[in-house]
Amino acid sequence: MTILEARGIRKHFGGVVALDGANLTCKQGKITGLLGANGSGKSTMSKIITGVYSADAGEITYNGRAVRYHSPNEAKQAGIAMVFQNMSLVADLTVCQNIVLGAEKTRGLFLDNKAAAQLSKEIVDQLLPGLDVRRMVHELNPGEMQVVEIAKAISTNPRLLILDEPTAALEQAQVKSLFDTMRRLVSKGVAIVFTSHRLWEVMEICDEAVIFRNGRNVADLDFSREVKDPEKIVSFITGEAGKATVERTRRKENREIVLRVSNMNYGSCIRDVSFDLKRGEILGIGGLAGQGQHELMLALAGSYSGVTGEVELHGKKIRLNKPASAIRNSILLVPGDRQLEGLFLGHSVFTNLIFPKLGLKAQPLFTPEKKYRRESEKIVDTLSIVTHNLDMPVNSLSGGNQQKVVVGKWLAFDTNVLLLADPAKGVDVGAKRDLYEYIVGQVAENRMSVVLYASDNEELIEYCDRLLIMYEGRIVATMEGEEITDDAIVATSMRVR
Amino acid sequence: MNKQSFLKRFISNPDFSRLLILILMFVLTAVLQRNFFAKRAIVRNIDSFTPLILMTMGQAVVIISGGLDLSVGPALSLMTCVLTSVMREGVPISGLHALVVAFAAAMAIGMVNGIGIGYLRIPPVIVTFATSFIWLGIALFLRPTPGGETVDWFQAFYRIRNVETAPAFLKAFGETIPPSLLLVLTGCLLWWIVSRTRTGRYIYAVGGNSQSAYETGINTAWVQMKACMINSAFIFLAALFFVGQNRSGDARMGDPLTLKAIAAAVVGGIALTGGRGSVFFALIGALIFSFVSKIIFFANIPNAYQTLFGGVIVIVAIAASQLYTLSSRRSGQESKLT
Repeated sequence: MTILEARGIRKHFGGVVALDGANLTCKQGKITGLLGANGSGKSTMSKIITGVYSADAGEITYNGRAVRYHSPNEAKQAGIAMVFQNMSLVADLTVCQNIVLGAEKTRGLFLDNKAAAQLSKEIVDQLLPGLDVRRMVHELNPGEMQVVEIAKAISTNPRLLILDEPTAALEQAQVKSLFDTMRRLVSKGVAIVFTSHRLWEVMEICDEAVIFRNGRNVADLDFSREVKDPEKIVSFITGEAGKATVERTRRKENREIVLRVSNMNYGSCIRDVSFDLKRGEILGIGGLAGQGQHELMLALAGSYSGVTGEVELHGKKIRLNKPASAIRNSILLVPGDRQLEGLFLGHSVFTNLIFPKLGLKAQPLFTPEKKYRRESEKIVDTLSIVTHNLDMPVNSLSGGNQQKVVVGKWLAFDTNVLLLADPAKGVDVGAKRDLYEYIVGQVAENRMSVVLYASDNEELIEYCDRLLIMYEGRIVATMEGEEITDDAIVATSMRVR
Repeated sequence: MNKQSFLKRFISNPDFSRLLILILMFVLTAVLQRNFFAKRAIVRNIDSFTPLILMTMGQAVVIISGGLDLSVGPALSLMTCVLTSVMREGVPISGLHALVVAFAAAMAIGMVNGIGIGYLRIPPVIVTFATSFIWLGIALFLRPTPGGETVDWFQAFYRIRNVETAPAFLKAFGETIPPSLLLVLTGCLLWWIVSRTRTGRYIYAVGGNSQSAYETGINTAWVQMKACMINSAFIFLAALFFVGQNRSGDARMGDPLTLKAIAAAVVGGIALTGGRGSVFFALIGALIFSFVSKIIFFANIPNAYQTLFGGVIVIVAIAASQLYTLSSRRSGQESKLT
């Protein structure tokens, strides 16, 4: 039974057309996958349904009646809940307070905290057993926050649940329990819209899939009748035939060591970490989310001052106690949260690309604008960044292109070591391929070595020569070449001390 | 959770450092001020701390809701002027009239600030900077020079024994528990109640992340307005104390309290970014702040340097708790892996 139908939805922001007559149908007890590249209109569609934006044209029927919501709250009261891509939690409230926020039960005048705790615990236990609902949200890691976000949406007992990239911050075990919860909801007759950039997730959980490209439907697949063919889906998403990944042969030969880290320690996050990074190598860091991988990347980039241990670059001891010293040694970081750590969002592509240069010691007194513009244009070309011109503010670019800008700002530098912290998070298939194409190309020419942390095991398997698995701040396993398989990663990641 | 880790958590909590500083200030004052534990000295200290405590708690509510109120000093002055303008000496009932009118004025003040901050979305600093001149203007209109009339029983907000008509048991009660302490307790009770209602929860939510609070269906503007009105209620309590003490209204008396209240709230751990901190710890911040001025007063520091020392000590206090937080993070006690 169709619960919601959106027909011919149009929406433009300024001169940019986000949706151009797109359709979406959700059926009771079915999971509909909503696919498309960044900027194809997936999020816009979800936000129009839930009343965050209003459509320029088109109509939405919900339960057989034409509706138009003016705020997410109206939609929520009608039984449509959405998990937003950007975090919508209040960091200074507890898990439980966030889950019931806006729908608090009271006993007389006062809040009924007991009932709230009980309700939250019931929902959270399905998704992530062991998460204490009394913890403050700002103490949680991104995966746990995402779980809270989902729990908050479920707590309203929705009839239609829209999950906009809920798995981007989750590790695989959490994804599994999310899928279990989704299946349970669906069996109760809830309709779910699910978006993700990870194809295997969509193929595993979805009953049907709708694919958007440039604001239009390009395919409506019913998985009960059609085979799940990833290459076909990718070609629908990108509009061109081809593989989702870049071919790469693993290298095994012995090479000189570029970076040697011995006995690195930082609080309880990094414990006795030692490893070598060879020239032209992609070294992966894996494991469950939040086992110190993120901190290790930041420590290598000089973000912490209290790190102990020795770091040698080309056999010379160096100190990494501030970001400037890492950059001086050409150890460059592409941070995990590009919007917070990697970009000046409101500023132009040009400003973002040249900014690191302005910090160089040999910087001329007056910025050679013209020369830098030429160089920036070259970078935009090399990485095929899609932007109207160099002066577009970077937040008007899609997620994938934003990520390319973060990589692009280091392009003018000689790179010894490139640190990639989850570079493909929230980046669509096409942009991801562009990005890795560039990196793999650079590595193949021995221009740099890469340390890659990815929350998606697929990327690690695809690109890494060697893989380190971290658990509670320690390196618990090292894999090489053909040993790197999904099973092996999951098995070593879950290891119990 | 075992006992030790609870203790560890407690010690690594920045609020613990605030308590330490408070105890340190308390001890220093006790050493420097003779008769610190004498009853009269205790009552006097409580009296002199009360206005700042009330103003700081009120300010803390506004800051937690994501605002900042630069008009609290002039608002306090205005309320004293309203009280002393309505009251007629020797007409006891006019005291009640004054209470009602001044409370209405207080709520109006909160609403005007709330409309500017919440509904018109003008930056709080700008709104309240502007309204501070409006309050000052009205106060000067009502009372160009300090003065005004009060009824006799209004002194009950300061010293019950000064009220001639008060029954003996009330006078005795006022000697044991000074009215200023009761005013502070009233303020605490007010916040204790509010913090257990939806309004209290929403004040934190709006200050912490107003966008997501709005998307959750919370009327953020109304919540911010309520925060401003709660602040006004605290200022009203302070105004009662002042008029009881001085028996006059003064259009300029509140001015120095504005920034002191903000600073004291910060000392008490209220984050200026909103959403974080406890109103009761703002009270502790106000106490620390008050003890600092006592210490400077009793330490025989030459007059010329008193202000300077006051500033330095406040910075040291804030920096100390900041450093404390940092060092306990680094030692890995917060095993927070993000």
